[in-house]
Amino acid sequence: MDLLTFARGPALQWSVAIFFLGVLWRLFGVFLLRRKKDYSRPRSTHLWRGAIKGLIVHLWPYKEFRPKVVQNYILGYIFHIGLAIVVFFFVPHILFIKNIIGVGWGGLPNTFIYITGAVTVAALVAMLVKRISNPVTRLLSNFDDYFSWFVTIAPVVTGLMAVAHFGARYEHLLAIHILSFELLLVWFPFSKLMHTFFFVVSRGTTGALFERRGTSA
Amino acid sequence: MSGLSDIGVSVEAEPGPGGGQGARIGNALPILHEIQTHLERLAQGGEPATIDLRAMPLAPGDYETLQRLLGEGEVSATIDALGPTRVRETAVRGVWWVSHHNATDEVVAEFIEVTRIPTILQTVDEDLVDGLSNLRQRLAQEEQSASE
Amino acid sequence: MAKDHDKEQTLGEALRQQGVSRRGFLKFCAATASLMAMPPSMVPAIAKALDKARRPSVIYLSFQECTGCAESLTRSHSPTLESLMFNAISLDYQETLQAAAGTAAETALHDAMKENHGKYLVLVDGSIPLKDDGVYSTIAGKTNLQILKEAAEGAAAVVAVGTCSSFGGIPKANPNPTGAVSVSELMKSGHIATKPLINVSGCPPIPVVITGVLAHYLTFGEVPALDVHGRPKAFFGETIHDRCYRRPFYDQGKFAKTFDDEGARSGWCLYELGCKGPTTYNACATTKWNGGVSFPVESGHGCLGCSEPNFWDKGSFYAPLSTGHWGTAEGIAAAAAAGAAIGIGAAAMSRRHQDTIAKEE
Repeated sequence: MDLLTFARGPALQWSVAIFFLGVLWRLFGVFLLRRKKDYSRPRSTHLWRGAIKGLIVHLWPYKEFRPKVVQNYILGYIFHIGLAIVVFFFVPHILFIKNIIGVGWGGLPNTFIYITGAVTVAALVAMLVKRISNPVTRLLSNFDDYFSWFVTIAPVVTGLMAVAHFGARYEHLLAIHILSFELLLVWFPFSKLMHTFFFVVSRGTTGALFERRGTSA
Repeated sequence: MSGLSDIGVSVEAEPGPGGGQGARIGNALPILHEIQTHLERLAQGGEPATIDLRAMPLAPGDYETLQRLLGEGEVSATIDALGPTRVRETAVRGVWWVSHHNATDEVVAEFIEVTRIPTILQTVDEDLVDGLSNLRQRLAQEEQSASE
Repeated sequence: MAKDHDKEQTLGEALRQQGVSRRGFLKFCAATASLMAMPPSMVPAIAKALDKARRPSVIYLSFQECTGCAESLTRSHSPTLESLMFNAISLDYQETLQAAAGTAAETALHDAMKENHGKYLVLVDGSIPLKDDGVYSTIAGKTNLQILKEAAEGAAAVVAVGTCSSFGGIPKANPNPTGAVSVSELMKSGHIATKPLINVSGCPPIPVVITGVLAHYLTFGEVPALDVHGRPKAFFGETIHDRCYRRPFYDQGKFAKTFDDEGARSGWCLYELGCKGPTTYNACATTKWNGGVSFPVESGHGCLGCSEPNFWDKGSFYAPLSTGHWGTAEGIAAAAAAGAAIGIGAAAMSRRHQDTIAKEE
């Protein structure tokens, strides 16, 4: 079996299965944990309002923290939005998703996608440089941090290489691109990439808690 | 494996005029720019150049666009060798259209030559030698029959 | 078949003897250069080489094939070129075209191989079945493998015409009931002698590509530059996608969604309808078919990828290239259920642990 057929066949089936298994495992495993009872007097009962407020407020850093973290926020948004554009608005990707969930949508011109991809790679590299050059983050960073960065940037880089026919025959570059995405799928549930699902609940819960306690932020 | 029902088919009204946006996106204009570059070079004393029309992806309508934009000139010649080869100078002097056909008049090759005269029209040295001996033979025959 | 032609004659001499003028010869060379996808500036060099070229003996062997490749070759829309080619080469054996049959045909084959030992060209059409000692395809009681083995012994080079002989083709498609293999597999496994091999794949190959490869061999006396699959780079060096006239539509994101919709009628890209152009190497987009009339994409149907190995087993012709076998909804539901079960189990364990800690406090 050639590499591309393997990447589009058995490798895809297994990685998708492992992804769903892993995600459900983590979601059930975390959300079914006991929470500490809060015996304080609730200052407000509109906890949902607090949850929404929490989600909104965390979109941008507090004024006091900005000098230290705003760059990270900006770079973070650049690569997240860039990834979203490339993944969800490049027609071959849309067709891939449509094949699974049955629904598709319109795409954007390819040149726009390629430029966005390049910008995304630049932002990701900048983030890694910042992580390594700052002594605190370098001390705190573990394998999860670095490997998650790798499985995120690899599909974008290999995708751009495939488009540029750079480094090998097109069908091999395409296979490597698909395999790199499958690596991300397999690593996803067991790493910090699960923040994709968790961040909504974390930020919402914090907001609800603050609302209950009557704090301002 | 998907079945026949997964193949998207929708039949709408009567088919409209063909071509659509293809002609506008085609390769005719880039080829003409290439011809222009060759002609500039030739005019400044450079070498002639040949463009093989079979070697480039021609969109539907490109061929007609090229013919229309180059037009027809004063000179046209037909060479009768292994089928007809039609040579004509286009309205753009120095740009020749050479169309090789086989014995059943199908196109086997097509070139646009930017030159003073296409090579195939010229008489080569070996042919001159042949021609000379041919003429000598004919003269000898004629003189012989005249003296009889 | 042509055995009375003097094989010591050069091609140039043979043509002039047949009354072909120098202009005719030049026309032939220009057409040949175009055929071989060589720049027109090479015509003088080709003319010189062809003038001095000797006429090789060619043996055409047909095995597990549909005869589409032989049909394609004879449809080469340059009958002048083709007839010259057949005068330029000495086609000493071809079952569909030859007049001889039965033992006369077999004798012709053996005589040709003996007389030209080490110098003849073998063209192989169709795959070779190996299962059950090769009984699935035999001629005059001999299996395809035996015939090919004998022919390859004295061959100067072998040309595998079509996807079947190049890669196995349709007989090799799952479940491959006859144990069909390609010529290159037989050379690799040592079943037949290893000789210079040119794979001219395609189902069928473009007619002028076959002739072009022969022309190259005739002109230069050697095998042209080949890619990783043994195919001549001159014709198989670029993908259909990279030479497709509909590429601007792909780049702009304009795709036909179904056959005959607005997009399809406007000539938009056929990626969503399953076109395998991006991963298919062939000359269809430039050389086209039927004398340059059209090719599948231009006629509104996506490329099938017919010049690639195992193209029959690479999934639906109508599923876009970016889709794959992701499994089934039931399979994913099962995986999700398993994950949920493990998660619930893990949570249960954690909760018990949490209770223990709480009790200790």
